[in-house]
Amino acid sequence: MDFVAFDASYVSKLRAGDAPTEQHFIAYFSELIQLKLRQRLRRPEQVEDVRQETFSRTLSLIRSEGGIRHAERLGPLVNSICNNILMEQYRSSSRAGVLEDGVAERLVETRPDALSMVISQDTRELVRHVLNDLNERDRNLLQAVFLEERDKEEVCKEFGVDRDYLRVLLHRAKSSFRAMYSRRAGVDR
Amino acid sequence: MNHQDALREMAVERYLLGELSGASLDSFEEHLFECSECAADVKAGTAFVDAARAELGVSRAVAPRAESASRWSSWFSWFTSPWVLVPALAACLLVVAFQTFIVQPRLRTEVALAQTPAVLNPLVLANAGPRGGSIPEIVAPEHGDFAISLDVPTSGSFSSYRCSLYNPDGALVWQTTVSPEQARDALLIRVPTDKVKEGLSVFLIQGLPAGGSSSGTLEDLARYRFRVKIQR
Repeated sequence: MDFVAFDASYVSKLRAGDAPTEQHFIAYFSELIQLKLRQRLRRPEQVEDVRQETFSRTLSLIRSEGGIRHAERLGPLVNSICNNILMEQYRSSSRAGVLEDGVAERLVETRPDALSMVISQDTRELVRHVLNDLNERDRNLLQAVFLEERDKEEVCKEFGVDRDYLRVLLHRAKSSFRAMYSRRAGVDR
Repeated sequence: MNHQDALREMAVERYLLGELSGASLDSFEEHLFECSECAADVKAGTAFVDAARAELGVSRAVAPRAESASRWSSWFSWFTSPWVLVPALAACLLVVAFQTFIVQPRLRTEVALAQTPAVLNPLVLANAGPRGGSIPEIVAPEHGDFAISLDVPTSGSFSSYRCSLYNPDGALVWQTTVSPEQARDALLIRVPTDKVKEGLSVFLIQGLPAGGSSSGTLEDLARYRFRVKIQR
């Protein structure tokens, strides 16, 4: 969880092909792009295509003759380019035939990737602590929403809470998790 | 959307809960790519939700076992509830009392009687021929026994003799095989009264021809009839 300033200096380094900056840029926005796309694209290879194309076009634009005018708007620019590619993806998918879909499905990697395994190994213990600190009702509420993926309105009604309660519950749990994670990261360092 | 808007609207939580759509989703995502604090929050929240999903899935897989155990427990507790336990204990007490005050004294008496030496006055059937005119009668004590003495009409042509006692209804009560040596003297047979019924009983003596198998044809040698009267 790094906090960086996307400014003219950063963009200049990208434009100059500075390897560490480029690595940081790709790592930082890769996570955001993947989070954004996982709600919108079903297949991992589609997500990967859009991600790669986003970086390709963004870096091309940065390194083009005119470059970009507002360095501080680098993030929204990446998001905008990603949106455009996503729209193109939608359009091409709608043109794709049934056979192509079937073939593509066979090529989907269903095993968890290395990154998600690292995340789960590293965070599950912390999350277990957070969940154990919750009362039974709150735990069941999160289970109904995230595990069973039931309709939130219905779940809130069943548990006798409103939508704000659910948001605050998630906010508190997430904050506890972040605090634990930061403490552990501090210890590890 | 700026960071204050995002905080005020709990945009990160709404995003994680999938509550944003359309313009609000576009607006937040644009901010998300710009704001490293919200980006870190969304990343942390996503990691939390993914791991929580896995954790809650594990706990849910364990829960049915606990539920099953508690189902057994509640089923078992049905037996231990006072509504069942008290009548069951009362029934047990009744059985114990019946055994203690009724069955055991009677058994003790019977055992004592069986172990006490007594003079036997056997009903002698030796003189009652198969077609004997008078039918002897024996008064047998209820739950006790009585003795019968009878002669076996022996002959060298039989290898053994079969003695059978029949109740008045023709049912076989008792049967035994007697060797020629045993048959030389009068047989004394003790009969439990409980085994017989009141009325005209029959004692049948049959001979098994020498050289024949045990399943061979038997020859009727004597049929003794006597009347049993039970003394209650």
